[in-house]
Formats: sequence, structure tokens, C-alpha cells
Amino acid sequence: MEVKETYNGTIREVTLGVGDKAVVVGGETALSFYTFEGVMPRKPVIAFDVYDEEPADWPAPVVEPYKDVLGDPVKWALKCQNEYGADMICLQLVSTNPTGTNRGAEEAAQTVKAVADAIDIPMIVYGTANVEKDTEVLAKAAEAAQGKNVLMGPIEEDNYKTIAAAALGFQQAGATHSPIDVNMAKQLNILATQLGLNADRIIIDPTTGALGYGLEYVYSVMERLRLAALTQNDSMTQMPIINTIGKEVWKAKEVKVSTEEEPAWGDAETRGIIWEAMTAIALLMAGSDILVMRHPKAVELTRDFMALMA
Amino acid sequence: MALTGIDIFKLLPKTNCQECGVPTCLAFAMKLAAGQAELSSCPHLSDDAKAALGEASAPPIRLVTMGSGDDAFKAGGELVMFRHDKTFFNPCGYALLIDDTSGASEIDGKLKQVNESHFVRVEQDLKADMVAVKCSSGKPETFVEIIEKVKAATSLPLILMSDNPEVIHAGMAVNGEAPLIYGANKDNYEKMADLAKTHKTALAVISDNGIDGLNDLVPKIEALGVKDLVLDPGYRNPKETLQSLVYMRRGALVKKIKAFGYPTIAFPVEETSDEMMETLLAGLYTCKYGSIIVVGNLKPQYALPLYVLRQNIYTDPQRPMQVKQGIYPIGTPNENSPVLVTTNFSLTYFIVTGEVEGSRVPAWMLIQDVEGLSVMTAWAAGKFVPEKIAPFIKGSGIEEKVKHRKLVIPGYLSQMSGELDDELEGWKVEVGPREAADLPAFLKAWSA
Amino acid sequence: MSKIIASAAIRGAHKIAKRAEESLNNAIQQKGEAQEVGFPDTAYFMPIALALLGVKVKTLGDFVPVLEKAKSMLPPEPAEHVWLPYLGNTLDAGIATILFEEIIEAVKYITGPNPVDGIWLGATDDVILRMQGIKLVDGSMPGFAACVGAMPTNAEAVKLANELRERNILVFMFGETNGKSMAEQLAEEGVQMGWDSYLVPYGKDITAASYALGFAARSAMTFGGIAPGGLKEAHDILLYNKNRVFAFVLALGEVDDEKYATAAGAINYGFPVIADTDIPQILPTGICSYEHVVSNVTHDKMVETAIEVRGVKIKITKINVPVPYGPAFEGERIRKEQMFVEFGGQKSTAFEYLRMRDLDDVENGKIELIGPDIDKMPEGSAQPLGIVIDVAGRKMQQDFEPVLERQVHHMINGAEGAWHMGQRDMNWLRISKSAKDKGFNVKHFGEILLAKLIDDFPAIVDKVQVTLYTDEKAMADLMEEARQAFIHRDERVAGLTDESVDTFYSCTLCQSFAPNHVCIISPQRLGLCGAYNWLDAKAAFEINPAGANQPITKGDTIDERLGQWTGVNEVVVQKSNQSVQNISAYSIMIDPETSCGCFECIVAILPVANGVMIVNREHSGMTPTGMKFSTLAGSVGGGAQTPGFLGVGRQYITSEKFISAEGGFKRIVWMPKELKDSLESQLKKRGESIGIPDFFDKIADETVGTTEDEVLAFMQKVGHPALEMESILEFSV
Repeated sequence: MEVKETYNGTIREVTLGVGDKAVVVGGETALSFYTFEGVMPRKPVIAFDVYDEEPADWPAPVVEPYKDVLGDPVKWALKCQNEYGADMICLQLVSTNPTGTNRGAEEAAQTVKAVADAIDIPMIVYGTANVEKDTEVLAKAAEAAQGKNVLMGPIEEDNYKTIAAAALGFQQAGATHSPIDVNMAKQLNILATQLGLNADRIIIDPTTGALGYGLEYVYSVMERLRLAALTQNDSMTQMPIINTIGKEVWKAKEVKVSTEEEPAWGDAETRGIIWEAMTAIALLMAGSDILVMRHPKAVELTRDFMALMA
Repeated sequence: MALTGIDIFKLLPKTNCQECGVPTCLAFAMKLAAGQAELSSCPHLSDDAKAALGEASAPPIRLVTMGSGDDAFKAGGELVMFRHDKTFFNPCGYALLIDDTSGASEIDGKLKQVNESHFVRVEQDLKADMVAVKCSSGKPETFVEIIEKVKAATSLPLILMSDNPEVIHAGMAVNGEAPLIYGANKDNYEKMADLAKTHKTALAVISDNGIDGLNDLVPKIEALGVKDLVLDPGYRNPKETLQSLVYMRRGALVKKIKAFGYPTIAFPVEETSDEMMETLLAGLYTCKYGSIIVVGNLKPQYALPLYVLRQNIYTDPQRPMQVKQGIYPIGTPNENSPVLVTTNFSLTYFIVTGEVEGSRVPAWMLIQDVEGLSVMTAWAAGKFVPEKIAPFIKGSGIEEKVKHRKLVIPGYLSQMSGELDDELEGWKVEVGPREAADLPAFLKAWSA
Repeated sequence: MSKIIASAAIRGAHKIAKRAEESLNNAIQQKGEAQEVGFPDTAYFMPIALALLGVKVKTLGDFVPVLEKAKSMLPPEPAEHVWLPYLGNTLDAGIATILFEEIIEAVKYITGPNPVDGIWLGATDDVILRMQGIKLVDGSMPGFAACVGAMPTNAEAVKLANELRERNILVFMFGETNGKSMAEQLAEEGVQMGWDSYLVPYGKDITAASYALGFAARSAMTFGGIAPGGLKEAHDILLYNKNRVFAFVLALGEVDDEKYATAAGAINYGFPVIADTDIPQILPTGICSYEHVVSNVTHDKMVETAIEVRGVKIKITKINVPVPYGPAFEGERIRKEQMFVEFGGQKSTAFEYLRMRDLDDVENGKIELIGPDIDKMPEGSAQPLGIVIDVAGRKMQQDFEPVLERQVHHMINGAEGAWHMGQRDMNWLRISKSAKDKGFNVKHFGEILLAKLIDDFPAIVDKVQVTLYTDEKAMADLMEEARQAFIHRDERVAGLTDESVDTFYSCTLCQSFAPNHVCIISPQRLGLCGAYNWLDAKAAFEINPAGANQPITKGDTIDERLGQWTGVNEVVVQKSNQSVQNISAYSIMIDPETSCGCFECIVAILPVANGVMIVNREHSGMTPTGMKFSTLAGSVGGGAQTPGFLGVGRQYITSEKFISAEGGFKRIVWMPKELKDSLESQLKKRGESIGIPDFFDKIADETVGTTEDEVLAFMQKVGHPALEMESILEFSV
């Protein structure tokens, strides 16, 4: 009875960070957690969201664990590293958003440097997906994080040249971000590699949708990317995948509404934790290698899940 | 390889008699090919054609119905390994486990969960599908007592769980409807098969060594004449359960192994003692090929995310979820609040309203029915164009709700602003941002 | 290669070799071999030695083998009467020269004079390199100009610097002419210099060229990800510069032997030399992308020539119009009462015409208005307008003319207060009163077209010149030329057959929602959405080689009648993610093409009528198949092969290849009236060409009936040819 699938491709291994705490992601030779027909050499990693300014719209369950450090990205990052055992920090430069605080690139770069110097785990630096502003901000951030081998993103079709060049110039890795579309993800990877960014310095950010908010789209796009990578040996889809889960989950209505407002939906904190962990599990099964998450309990659950599956 | 519409058409009478309710034989053939019609609808089919088509149209995974009426639950009938290949057709079912040795208050609590974990989202009912009653007491009378209690509280189909045919026999006597017997193992399968046949119920087949055991046991039970089976590879750890579920789905669809051509059943409740983890494992089997998923808790904070996951995974990728056409007030808008129009593609709706909510600027959202297409797709398909939008706005009743006449359209439709201005008399069309994320800034700067 | 240049370069290399050897020996004598040597704040040691030889020079002693290696590359100085030295020798001499120059400059850091002195900046540190390099890679800085020597006057030096800076081209300055360097000229004029102002004075000595070439070498190592080592890596580093670093040398004033030698070094990087003096030219391409040495260029043409020779692409970041520009204005209408002036729209003579020209015949950026401007036009009037766009590009093809010309509509509509409709000599434009009040005039049409063509199509457009005619007499000849060109283009499209080309194109634009669908676009079968024909796909590939349109080599013919080729099938298998194995370009019954869902029309067989019907997307009524368009679309779309059904673009209906396997055009038995009428002239023409002039009248429509029986009765009445054809249902090869 032959029911095993044979795969002929492998997901690339990408190293992020430096020193003892550097992480490697990727390396799968089968669909994620299909260890019965291929190799998954390591578990996906979890990065904690750290904002570079006090977040304005986080619901209570995710404010609580960080209430003593919100507004201080260095302390915040250290808390994630030391108390919650984060594999990585995802520093989100939300303060640079032109429709928000609109902080300048230099100032953002200082935060990047301060956080990078304080922690010893690898770092992800994310802009606000504002094409023009990110170009400026991430180029400076790349310089500020020199020697730290960080993952920078999102690299979009409209600004890939500058950001990928900055990644190249300062030896950082890049997250190529495309709008839930297999071919556009591939195309952006082709463009970035043509520019000179090595394929093993790229992580795919396929655009994440939270549970109930487009999860099914990203789920299928990731499955398709993985199948192309593993069964068709399609080189430009063989990058590890990152999902920015926390940011999407914690703005969903079902997560924001309190127990008092909607008693029929049950305890709000548990509901939020499950919402985040459930999104994580679905995307893990679809091929995620880096999960960016928020609630420590959701992270713990996701880790427990991976331990059960290993 | 499935038959094409033309292949099927060649076997039909080609009379266009319309007795099947479809205008032409060709149209009927296309429906058959798409699985949207029953072969039996054609009264003039020759026996040869019936045989040829019947064989070809037999589904690789049997569709098994449990229960009856509104609460009947259908499992199986799947045709693809990945939802993007076509769709996952029959949403998995969640069954809440009730143990007959539990105390009365615990059982009452669970029954409450079954009845209260009921939500409506995107015009779909999200709810539990079955109740599993497990005989741990070993006593038929206790089992019967609990079954009666459950039946008094819910009309959902039941799964009767015991490896003792006597116990099942007692349970069946009070059940009355076609539930699922759980189940047949290599020691009791003959008696269980008898019970299933007698009561015309579905029968779960329980392996003691994964898919090999099923491959062995299923043909024996089939040979006894039971048609509706549900398969349990028998592991109680997620790693091996996942492996089995993947192999069974692939075996049935790709490798054409007939023994695996049935719906599956998985037991997160028996794989962990942690409520949270149980819910996540139920999520795992929702993604990966579980047909019936038995859990120990359906408290709303667990049930809601689980049901929404199922809604996502089982959405037809080519037929997006839709919301109803109409005016949606966000916050408490007044006669000076902004008016925005977009399409009824559920994702568009969720993302746009989410950002509007986040802006804390009260607003009127006008959602137009374009058969669930996104803005650009609907525009390209000619469904979200000035000549369609204008009558919708005029007929929506928004003119009674606001004093101003300014309509914000999605930024990607800037090219039609002028034309809509012409069509929509008395209104001024404003081009909104291209990305929903930029709506808060836009709305904060907006004035009537 | 010119012997004069070769001889001079080799002579120059020997001179510089001597200097390098002397200065190195001298330094070793003074400080010892162990003396550390290095440029400030860099991880690239001596970048040229590292890049080209793979040597990490840390001490003066480490320089010894570098010097020896460079010396070994030196060809012998050519004797007057020997006709020997050619490209290879000269290039070797160039490489040796820049290695020597790097030694000389490095030694200066130890024994003096300090290269960092006054205006002179000396070596570039890594942070600056990276920050500048990002601009080079992302295209915001198109390249750098290495200015060697000095201009005749200070004013000309300032002008040249500004011309380069305006284009965001970085200006490196070194070397001197008659004791003066360009940087000194700028300093005398009070021009602020430094990296931020794009003006980099490296050093007065010609050997400071090594900083510029070291910068280029480090760019390749940093941004090209090339780890230096052996010969292959050295070659890759040079190649990276040729392909990615759009630099050129401007040789100002007399070119002495040392300058020739240094220029030979630059040519190794693919950097061409543009000289203002009458030195021998090296025109044929080889190492550089285009010409190697272009000489005797007048000062006012120097920048333009350099840009062209190096193939530098300059981005226009802001469109020079007095009104806002962007996609938000695309849909804006200008009503009669808001309009100041209009052109065309059958109210006045107007046309737009984009033509390909030779590079020499286009003056990039030139916009000319022939006739009165807007201020001479009466309010509310209709005026004549001819828009002639001359485009040149090394990769431009005549076939791209219509593709680019069709963009005029989008481009002009992006400006607030400007409005455009139609095309060719049936166009219609308006300028609003408010735009006129803000200063918008006729020439601004040119500004928009110029900027957008260069910016949006850098792969095929190098130069653009726009001429606008508002004088009806002046434009008569060009209008005639344009009309001839339109006729010629239509003939070209009509004359293109699938047999006449060996390349088709794939289109996977719709895979976002139809993951396994791929359109095969051939000259006689356009994409089923109707938006992409073969020429469009061809141009799209040139414009974006990584995009959704990829060339397909047809390969061997498997079946001519069905239209199956090995190459096409291979691509289909791959791009359909293995879900489709074979595709017939010309058959509806056997391996028909799949559909994404964007089709303009659906063709479906009518088995009883023994033909096909065609229904367009706009038709909402019942069809003789018993299915409406929406139902048919549900069966046909999604990337699955559905024999008997086909999604097509309207223009395919009258193609000679329209389901030609099953007998083609003659199979058409029913169409909605609206579709039939809209294609009337084409259908009639096609009917004539197959010898059935009244075929148009044999096609039934919904006024005849919407059931197969009614269609059949009609066919029998009019004697439809499909009735005599072989059974379409049983069609086989």
C-alpha cells in the first residue's frame, strides 16, 4: 500500500541573527509536519511583536503582559527575550507611519540600534508598508543594524530596489511581501534575486489574514507556494515563509470585543488567545516558518502544539 | 479521470425532453459533471448508460449522512487534497463528548454548551453538529439514561460509543434516529455490523494499528453489507493521527484505495487533557482531513474560533463568502457622517468595516451585492460600475439618513469617478484611499 | 582597437608602474615591510587588489606580490613600427595600471602627502559606499561620471557638474589638465562639494582614479554578493560593473599616456570613455555594452552622449505640470461647461502618433509646440491638435509602437483638468478652465508623455521627443504619415500568422484566482480576455521579463490541424502546475484551451445543430444550449479543460484559426444580436473570404430563437453549411 508522496524540492535554509542565538529557518523536504514522508529539520520559530511606540489600539489582553514596558522598545524586547523566551523579536516601526506619528528615519534607526544592541536573539525589523516611507526608514534601519543579520521587510514590488539593495549593502535578509498571490510572490523573488539579493537571504511574506479575516486566502496561497517548491522544485518559491499574525489577529472584532459586551462569545482573553493560536496553527500547517505573535499564552500554546507534532 | 460533460452527454438520450428540469441534455450533462445533479433525474436513461455513468460518478469518498431532518449531518464526499484544487465540500462536524459516568451537573453544563455555542457569521449558522455519548460505565441502563437526557436537550444526531454490542443495542433502542455507532473493531465487527444494518445506521470502524488495520477490517465489514462507514485509525496522538488522515485522504483520492473511501473521525478529546490544546487539535483536523471531530468542550470562547476556522477552510475558493446588500451603520453615524460604498465580498466587507471601526469616525457603509466579488473583480466583471452603483445608492435609502450628498468610493475605482458623478444625480463622488489601512486617516480628515 | 590608443595606454602603464615601484620601495625602506597599510573604515583592504587578485593587503610587504603580479601583466612597450598591441594587451595594461595606482595612493596614506587635503576626500569608507551603493542599485542614482582633467573654463566646469547632478549622476573628479582639475574649478566658483551634493573630488593625481574604480569594485563585492578570490570572481566583479553600475569616464582636455592607461582600466569595467578632444574612437562593442571610446564630443553634448553610450536610465521623479498628477484623477470628466478648449472628437482635426526613430534622430526631452498655445485659443473652442511622439531605444521595436501609443490615454488622464478619449486619428482631448487657470498649456501634454514613457517603460524606451501641432497646415503631412502608419500596422497585425512566427506567449495574469490556467497567445489567437494580443504580450515581456507574459518556443508540431506543439505543451504542463497535459490551439473538442473566467465570449457546441453558438458576457438571456452566460461561465472557468466549451476574446471569432480543427467559422450557428451587430463588418468580410458571402445572414440570433430546435429549423431554412459538415460531437483526429 503506497500512500507516501514523493517530493523533489527542498525549502532553503536561511540564517538570521548572529552568534549562539542565531536561528535557522526552512529546510523542509515535505509539507510542514508531514514528517512521515520527508524531513522537517527544525521547528518554526516565533517572534514577538515589539512596537517602537506605545500602541494605541491593542486590546486589553495583549496590553496586560507588557503594560510595564509599552513605550520602551528596549525593555519590551528584553522582556520578550528574558521572560517569554522569544526566539526572535519583530520590531515594528509603527511610529514612522506618515498617517500617524510620522517619526523620521534617523530616529527610527536609533531605536533599531538600541534594541539590536540590547538583545542577543535575532531581530526582524518591519516598516509600516508605506512604500515611500519604508524605503527611507528601512535603508537607515539596515545601516543601524549592521552586523546583526536582521530580517527586514516588507519589501514590496514598488520599493524592492532600495530595500533589497539596503539589505544587500548591509548584509541583512529581506522579507518579500506580495498581496496574497503566488505569481506575484514569485515575481518579486525573481526581481529581488535579479537585483542581487541571494535566494537564501529571502523570506516570503505572503500577506497574512487572521482567522475569519482572509485566513483561507493566505492558507491556500501558502499551500500552493509549498507545493510548487516541493513537488515542482520551483526555485523562486523555495523560500521560508513569515506570517505577521499578531498584528492581524488583535484587530479582529471577535478578539477586541470584551466579555461584558458580548457574553455569548465567552471569556474575551481566552477567546483572543485561541484566535491567535488557531491562526498560528492553520498557518503552520500551510507552511509557515516564522510566526510573529503577541500574546505569551498563545505563543506557549503554539509551542506546545509544535512539540506534540515533532 | 472524471468524465467531462461531453462524455456524459454522449450517453444521454439527446432528446432535450426537459423532464429532468433542465432545458437541454447538454446542460444536464454539464450539471452531472459538476456534481450538481443526480443521475436519477433522467427518466429515459438506458441501462447501459446508467451502468457506465453510475460507476464513473461514484464518489471516491462516500458521502455519509447521519441523523435526519434539519439536524442531519453529512460527512465525506470530498474530491480534492487541497482546497485550492476545487473546494472542500462538506464541512467537518464537531461532536461534543458526554461520558455516562459524569455527574449530572457536568452533563447539564455540556448540554448547555451544545445549545449555546451557536453563532451567526456572514449569514451562516455556526454550531455543533453531533453529540457523542460514551458508555464508560459499562452499564446499558446508565447509558440509556444519559442518552435519554441528551435527547431531551438536543435534536442533534448522536454518536453512541461503546465496544460492547450489548450496550450499543440498548442505546439504539432509545435512540430512534440514524446516528453513528462507534464502533466496530477487529473483535466485535460482526455484531456491530449486524446492529448497523438492523438500525440502518452508520458504523465507525476502529483500527488498532492505523491505516493497515483499516485496510484489513473495512473490506470485511463492507462484505457484511454495511455501506455507511466512518474510519478511525485509532491513534490518540496528533502526530500519528495526522499521518493517518493524510494517508487515508490521499489513498482514497489519488491512489484509489477503496477501503479508505469513507469519512473519518478524530478525537482531540482523547489526545490531550488541556481544553486549549484540544481546541487547537480540533483546528488541526479541521484543516487536515477530519470529517467528525470529537471534543470535550465547546465553551463559546473555544467554539467560536473553531467554527470560524471551519468556515474559512470550507469556503469555496471560487465562490467567495458574501454579506447582505444594505446600509451598515458603523458606530452611531448621523446625518453628517461620511458615506462609503463597497462590495459585498465578505473579506472586503470585514477589512473595510474593520478599518472604519478602528478610525472611531462613525460612518455609513453601503454594501452592494455584486455576487461576492472584490472591488476590482466586480468592476472588471461589470457588476460594480456607475450604472449599477447609482441605482443602488438611490434605492438604498441613504438619502433619508444623511443631509450631505458626498459618496466615498474605493481608491482603485478612481477611473470611474467622473462617470459615477454623471450617473448619480445630486451626489458628489469622492475618491477614497486605495488601501483600507489608509481609511482612518482619510475619515479623520473628511468633512461633510 | 586603435594602435595609437593601445600604444599610449601601454606606455602610460609603464610610467605608472615605475612610480608605484619607486614609492613602494621607498615606503618599505622607511617603515619596513611590516608597516600596516589600509584605507580608513573599510573591510575591503585594498579593494582593487582584493577584487581582481583576491589578495588581502594588510602590510606594505603584502603589496610586493601585488606589484609583481601587476608588472607581469604589463605588455612590452610597443615599438613604433610594430603593429602589435591590441585589445587584450591594452586591457591588461589597464588592469595593471589601476593596481599600481592603488599602491601609489595607499602609500600616500603612510608617507604622505595625505590624500585627504583641502577639497580632496581620498578613500571612501564603507558606510558611505553602502549608502551610495543603495542609490546605484535602486536606480535613484543612475550612475557615476568619472571626470578626468579640467574643463576649459570654470563656468563650463560648473555647467557640466550641474548637468550631471540634475540627473542624479554622481560626479567623481580626479586628474588634471594643464595643472588644473575640475574640482578646483568648482571650488574656485564656490560650489559646495561632498557626497551629499553628488560632487566627489577624489584627488588631483590621476592615481586617485583608483578610488573611483575601487568604489566600483567594492560595490560589486557588496551588492553583487561576490566574494573575491580567483580569476572567475575578478571577472564576475568586472561583469557586475558592466551590467549594473552605469558609470562612464569623461576625459576632459588633453589625454596623456597615463590617462589612456587609466581609461583602459575603466574599460575593463565596461565603463566607456567620452572625450572632448580628437582622440581615436573605439566604436565597435566588445567589453562595454555599446561603444568604448567616443571622442571629439562638444561640451554641451557630453552628458547626453555619455548617457546614451552607457545606456544610463534616468528616472523622472516629478512630472513637470502645474496641476496635480496621479491615478486619482484618471476617471475625472470634463463637462462642456467646465471645458476651456477641446481637440478632436470630430469637432476638429486631431491625431496622436507614436513612432520609432533612430537614437540619433531623437533629442531626448525636447518638447516642441508648432502653432498657437492655449492663451491664443478662444474659450470653449475646438482646436486642431497633432501629437507626434518620437521614441528611440536600443531595445525598441516597431511592433511596440501601438502598444506604447495606447498608453497615451492613461498618461494624459492622470493630470487633473486634462481629459482624453479614443486613439489614433479618432482621439478627443479637453483641458478644463481650472487647469488653464493654473497654467496648464498644450506643451504640458508633452511633459506628461515624456516623463511617463521614460519612467514606465525603461526597458524599451531610451529617448523621447514630443512635437505638438496646433497649426492645422503644419500638421497635414504628419497626419498623412500617421494614417499610412495606422494602415500599415493593421496590415501587419492581419498578416501575422501563427505559422509566420516561432514564438508564442503565455499569460498567467489570472492565476491569482484561476491557479492552473494559462493562456497561450499566438498571432491568430489573442488572450481570451480580449486585452492581450500577441504584440502586447511580446512588448509586455520586453518591459517586464519576469512578468506574467513569457515567450514560448513552439517546438515540434504534434498535430497541425489541432494546433499542438511540443514546446507549447511543455509550458502548459509546467504553468498549469501539471493539471493540464496538452492544449490544442484550434480545437474546441480535443484538448481545448482552459479558461480563467475573464473571457469576453463563450463558444459552446450545439450537438443537434452540429455547430457552435457564441455568447458574449453582456448577454443575459437564455441561449440554445439551455444555459445562460453565467451558467456556462461556471462550467468553463477555473482553469479546467471542458471539451465542447471555450472561452474566447471577441477578435478570435473572425480569426482564420477560430476552431479551425472542427471546420472553423462555418460552424457558427447562433450569436446574440448585439454581438453579431457589433462584429458585423468583420463577420461579413470573413464570410466572403470563405466563399459564403451571405454567411452573416445564416447565423441565427435570439430573435430567431433560443432553443436548439428553433436554431435547427432556421438553419435548414437558410441552408446553413454546418448541416453538411461531419458530426462535431464525434469529432476526432
